Amino acid sequence: MEYYSGLSGEAISFGMMMIISFIALGIFAHGMIINMNKWGFGATGYGGRQSKGSFIVFLKTFISYLRKEGVHHGQPILTTLVLDILLQRRILRRNPLRWFMHITIFVGWMTLFVLSFTMFFFEILHLVGFEILDPASLREMLAYPNTVFSYILLVGVVIAVFRRLFITDVRESTIAYDSILLLGLVIVVVTGFVSEGIRTGGFWGFGIENPAAPPAAFFHVIVSLFFCIAYIPYSKYIHVIATPLTILANKGGE
Amino acid sequence: MAKGTPSITCDNLTAVQLMELDACTRCGECVKWCPTYDASGQEPGLAPRDKILRWREFMNKSYGLRARLFGPKEISDEEIDLFKTDVYSCTTCGMCGTVCESGINTIELWECMRANLVERGNGPYGKQNMFLKLITEYHNPYMMDPKARLDWVPPDVTIADKAEYLYFGGCTAEYRQKKLAFATARVLNKLGIDFCMLGEDEWCCCSALIRTGQHEKEEIARRAARANVEAIKKTGATKILYACAGCYRTSIVDWPRLLGEELPFEIIHIAEFLEDLIKQDKIKWEASVDKTVTYHDPCHLGRHVGIYDPPRYVLDNIPGVKFIEMDRIKENQRCCGAGGGVKAGIPDLALGVAETRVQDALKKNPDILSSACPFCKRNLSDGRDSLGAKELEVEDIIVLVAEALGIPLDDCVET
Repeated sequence: MEYYSGLSGEAISFGMMMIISFIALGIFAHGMIINMNKWGFGATGYGGRQSKGSFIVFLKTFISYLRKEGVHHGQPILTTLVLDILLQRRILRRNPLRWFMHITIFVGWMTLFVLSFTMFFFEILHLVGFEILDPASLREMLAYPNTVFSYILLVGVVIAVFRRLFITDVRESTIAYDSILLLGLVIVVVTGFVSEGIRTGGFWGFGIENPAAPPAAFFHVIVSLFFCIAYIPYSKYIHVIATPLTILANKGGE
Repeated sequence: MAKGTPSITCDNLTAVQLMELDACTRCGECVKWCPTYDASGQEPGLAPRDKILRWREFMNKSYGLRARLFGPKEISDEEIDLFKTDVYSCTTCGMCGTVCESGINTIELWECMRANLVERGNGPYGKQNMFLKLITEYHNPYMMDPKARLDWVPPDVTIADKAEYLYFGGCTAEYRQKKLAFATARVLNKLGIDFCMLGEDEWCCCSALIRTGQHEKEEIARRAARANVEAIKKTGATKILYACAGCYRTSIVDWPRLLGEELPFEIIHIAEFLEDLIKQDKIKWEASVDKTVTYHDPCHLGRHVGIYDPPRYVLDNIPGVKFIEMDRIKENQRCCGAGGGVKAGIPDLALGVAETRVQDALKKNPDILSSACPFCKRNLSDGRDSLGAKELEVEDIIVLVAEALGIPLDDCVET
């Protein structure tokens, strides 16, 4: 069966991609359980004793934080979700350039994820016989937004790389924990552009012949699944989960 | 450490706080604003994000994936000791939490890390070790006779046996900076506010114990909170006034948490109380202060609890006061350096921070650097003296209010 989400050719089937995706999701889920179990060693309340290291303890404690009232800071969950998590107001207050960098990465990444998931959803429908929208047509429809948000992501990544390389205090404080995150992003973005360029024969193909498109796309999908899903719980990428939860638990922060 | 046993426990750190360690994006905002990192000559270990990174590594070595697969990795005593020094070199001013892009509640994180280290036998730091013994024995950290709590009260001050208002004096104002207690009591008398006090039934609020991570040790902080709450209840007072930012913060934030219950009375800082009276036009000023005054937000009143405007409103309304702001104010205020046990534990660092804050004030050329906290007054005064800026007066706002009400304080002798 043909796989429409960027790959073509008989060598890489939808089934193969599903298996790889589930492996990535499995690694992600395993890592998240390890993390939540680690967090679950914490006490359930202020000044309490260590718990047994269960993700249930973490979830219960997190919910108790959501329910408790702050002394002077504290805002409705919806306000926190919109202003502090989606619009990242706390970063904007501190550094507009860093906010622009982060919001472009966030918007680019999340929108590409949603677009990919949409493509995946319609492929599943196609697979089970619901022909609401032809996957091939959908892929063409999504080409433009995919391109736009890829460039938005690229802008953010370029700024991030620039900061790490050329802003002295940022460069000097960079450790492997930071570099791996950025390196992953760079690999995902570059492989994405190159594989698409090879497929369409555009600028980013660098003149590489079209037959190389499937393996290039395959490589891009593999590194994307690795860095964007599987590796999240084991690296600085965990902040994409822990930071919003922290902001929610602390009601928008101080 | 027995083989297979983690070097650290997670006692005193909540599950959400452990998650917060993974929420840090190392953006570095906290480093830019940290007053002790700055005053230490930018000692890397004092940077808040570095402390978060190290505890995260401790956690991963002890409870992370690797630890699950191969057993916990030992953390050396040297590493823990170094970490202790760094985490105690923090005034818990909360500036890092205010600027944290991940919204980490750093004040509680540092306090809970300290509590964990106290439990482990590493903390507290230096002279902070004495707090527990002194408060247990004397109910105050100054080794003063509890029966002498009200010895400062001058003959002209009237304290009721029972009243709607209770003035919680606090150890520092009652035993050391008596001018603050004199001014508060006389201002209340002058305004016709009947108030009672706890006298020898008053225990230390235990701010110093809590900030240095000793709040669970021998249950002293909890016992003190209980003793104070029960003693207040006995007086029948429903509105408790504080002129000490440390006592105020501890009463409004820590006591309910320690006791696991809401307090059956209202906690009011004297600045809030005076603001209210001024708005009701119940204060008749009698003298003009005629000074240029700037205001330093105490961390315990400002960032910790969010009281920024009442002290400014009071100062703005004192006749003759020309109120000016420093560059770093309110939630961006720079700490005076006294908090978090640093004044007792690492006085040189406290002085360094104070000097920087006094320099903030000197840039505006005020006559008076005011605050609403006896610890800020003490440390800012030390900073002023260290800089040789003798022309700058450091004074509490309640003393300025007393002056504007024509209340003499010359008879107050501080020890």
